[in-house]
Amino acid sequence: MKYFVTGLAAAVAVLAAGAGFAANETIAVFTKNLTNPYFQAVRVGAEAAAKTLGVKIDQYIPTKPDSIPEQLSQVEDVIVKKPDAIVFIPVDYKALVPAVEKINAAGIPVVNITDRSAGGEFVSFVGANDYGIGLATATDLLKAMGGKGNVIILEGVKGALSNTDRVRGFNDALKGFPNVKLLASQPANYQRLQALQVMENLMQSFPTIDGVLAANDPMAVGAIEALEGANRKALVVGINGSKEAVELIKSGKLLASGDFNGFIQGCIGVEIAVRALRKQPTPKELILKPAVIDTTNFLSYETPVEERTCPTLDQVGAP
Amino acid sequence: MNKQTTGRADIAAPPRFGFSSNVMQVLYRLLAAALLCMVLASLSDAFMTENNILNVLRQTALLFLMASGLTLVILTAGLDLSVGANIALSACLAASVIKATGSASLGVATGIGCGTFVGLANGLLVTALRIPSFIATYGVMWMLTGLTYFYMGGQTIHGFPPAFRQLGSGYLLGIPMPVYVMVLFLAIGTFFAQRTIWGQQVYAIGANPVAARLSGVPVQSRLVLVYTLSGAMAGLASLIILARINSAEGDIGENLTLPAIAAVLVGGTSLFGGSGSVMGTLIGALILTLVLNGMNLLQVNASWQPLVTGVIVLVAVWISTLTRPSDE
Amino acid sequence: MSSRTVAPSLIARVPGVAIALIVLCTVFAFASARFATPTNIANILVQSTILLLLALPMTLVIMTEGLDLSIGAVLTFASIILAVIVIATGSLALALSAALAAGLCFGLANGVLISVLGIPPFITTLGTLGIAQGLSLLVTDGQSIVGIPRSIESLYSGSLAGIPLPILIATLAYAVTHILLYHTRFGTYIFALGGNREALKIAGISVRGMLIGVYLFSGLMAGFAALLLTARLNSAHPTAGIGMEFDAIAAVAVGGTSFERGNGWLFGTLLGVLAVGVLRNGLNLLAVPSSAQVASIGALVIIALFIDGLRSEP
Repeated sequence: MKYFVTGLAAAVAVLAAGAGFAANETIAVFTKNLTNPYFQAVRVGAEAAAKTLGVKIDQYIPTKPDSIPEQLSQVEDVIVKKPDAIVFIPVDYKALVPAVEKINAAGIPVVNITDRSAGGEFVSFVGANDYGIGLATATDLLKAMGGKGNVIILEGVKGALSNTDRVRGFNDALKGFPNVKLLASQPANYQRLQALQVMENLMQSFPTIDGVLAANDPMAVGAIEALEGANRKALVVGINGSKEAVELIKSGKLLASGDFNGFIQGCIGVEIAVRALRKQPTPKELILKPAVIDTTNFLSYETPVEERTCPTLDQVGAP
Repeated sequence: MNKQTTGRADIAAPPRFGFSSNVMQVLYRLLAAALLCMVLASLSDAFMTENNILNVLRQTALLFLMASGLTLVILTAGLDLSVGANIALSACLAASVIKATGSASLGVATGIGCGTFVGLANGLLVTALRIPSFIATYGVMWMLTGLTYFYMGGQTIHGFPPAFRQLGSGYLLGIPMPVYVMVLFLAIGTFFAQRTIWGQQVYAIGANPVAARLSGVPVQSRLVLVYTLSGAMAGLASLIILARINSAEGDIGENLTLPAIAAVLVGGTSLFGGSGSVMGTLIGALILTLVLNGMNLLQVNASWQPLVTGVIVLVAVWISTLTRPSDE
Repeated sequence: MSSRTVAPSLIARVPGVAIALIVLCTVFAFASARFATPTNIANILVQSTILLLLALPMTLVIMTEGLDLSIGAVLTFASIILAVIVIATGSLALALSAALAAGLCFGLANGVLISVLGIPPFITTLGTLGIAQGLSLLVTDGQSIVGIPRSIESLYSGSLAGIPLPILIATLAYAVTHILLYHTRFGTYIFALGGNREALKIAGISVRGMLIGVYLFSGLMAGFAALLLTARLNSAHPTAGIGMEFDAIAAVAVGGTSFERGNGWLFGTLLGVLAVGVLRNGLNLLAVPSSAQVASIGALVIIALFIDGLRSEP
């Protein structure tokens, strides 16, 4: 019993010490989940900017990936703590509006990044555009196919905004290439293994597949594995611009990957938040141009996110 | 779930019990699977092709390996919810070992070792700490998930030596490697369950743990054994998945646990313990794989897929309850 | 009837969940200045209400040696129905009735499949989970439903006599469940369903009717929870309730109700729900890294039950 109390006291002390550490300004950063490398890049970017600017970051991630109620609860809890500013990626751009309104009511300045929230007041929005990236990446593929042939779409999670927009981008790109036939559009839930198995199954129905539009990189990799396993070839594109994708582009297995640059969004999001706190001018909106990583430009993406330095607002070309 | 006070009419005292009723259940399920095949073959030309059949077999093998150890746990009227998280952690650890040392065999040892260790922990929580298996494995699942996320830090490990990858993607005599592993473990599992004293004891524990204990079965150590085996099988499955998809990420275990449990239950093993078979689990895995295969071949819309799967699972199990010897 | 029909006496032993809750509150109160503030405590209570509404019927279901894995998906579907109808007709009463009806339908389906067709609860509710999820996706086509009248939101954020409305609703739900379980014949039979089914049959009570009733209750509560969920989100989303069934089951089990022991304790469920809420809130306030948060939830569950296991009969 004595040891239990001592241990408990020690635990309390440690926690209190950790929580009591005061920094100049604290910024709470909200991302969607622990598993998608994109959000990891956002968090790394946020931390990098924070170090340069001399502020402290608290990361908030739902323990259940993409959980709407959990992010809502986290926002409510964070408001009690009163951080100086918030950088916010809503798990769902519509469902989290009440949370943003609570942040507004509490008078905490908030910057919206990645997915544009459907409501609430923000200092600024920094984002890339799922639709635009889907469109650009698909166009890359269709051009590489010479404008003719058969393609397959591997969809992500039904119900996720990113998925809806990217697939819409794919489909719109296809409209511009009438000689390309869309054979099938099947879901693989953004998961690698599932994409592999779905691709295997689809290859049975379709002896000729020339291109694969995958809504994210893990699915693209799954498709590539399936193709290699069956000794078939096709041009494959993904979205995320992950490290793995860059390596596959380098080795020629993946044609291209749409780049969101979560790292930059994390950097700029924090920078804008800090500028707002320090009463410096901030842009109302910053849409990063959709970039597609392929064999022509992958070199600049080879540095792992942890080693990159944050570009500043001026460098990214804010108005 | 355990019925501690009620006995079961279909369990007799003699050692070799449950054999013939299990065989009948397996046959009924084979019939169901065959029916499903016929339906799919008539709806899609691509179904009965050599490649598709091999694919289905390989996909079934992966699901079966995850579910095989789980079958033993469920036979004891327990449940292991940590299977998916166990696979994720084992795969990630094995992946980094392979990357760090370049040795596939060290990776294999790590994967199986990790899985076994987790299984052992589950077994001890259930027996020594007497925590109900549902909750113990649920808690372990969260802890493993947290550990895996922390360890991987949002990164992916990819690219393994070709020799290792053969385990998942290779062929031997035209048949995918995982199928051989599946057959091997089907044989081992069935032998263990039906022909060894230990297996018989597992059935007895599930049917009536009090009676089993009274008749001299070392219930606690057998339970630890089953959970450890379940963990070890998860470790093995993680290696084959790793070899198949050639990468490891923190979330690969996310959608694996419920399908594994569903495979066991569709295969006829009862959550109340004491009846079921490893062969049944294989057919359960086959049925679930056929459903997904069918939905892809027939291009069922994404929104319909959960619904179709749910309905088919219900129908499959309903048919099996119609044919099970009544015990109420 | 055995001693299982009597709730464990509080004086005789302090359950693991209570110890866990006390320890957590103490630790967090010291570690964070914000924890013990009225606003934060109110937050925790309000945030726990939806889970409580799911965990209350789950307690009954688990006492009958069953499980309702579909309750999260049914909650989601009911909230979508509610949103669609309130936007279409402007009538909250109509919308709520529709949501309750949806919950009851699934409850009936579960009950019938389990008791009449004899399909094990795990598989049945897994199947209905898929069906409910599928219906949610089909109705919404994967999109959120917005445009809900603001008055609905006030159901979640408003208060009556200084007490937040959700807490009042949750208290009412708890009271109803308590009366149902401890003061009606239905409740007594539920205790029997868990350990002594034969006695029920001998007494001529319809086991089937009981089981259907329990799952109907589960569906009904999911319908009410849908009201709170839609109000909280001010929208309806096809993935909103995912995973809540496991949270509810964990809260029930942490609270001491066990399908393997056949006993049930409703107050324990409440403590279990609070323990999970306090843990999450405290970890958020302390900005504990997410992977550690994930692991802590598992640890809480195991530790609470470990403490219980130390004192129960072998």
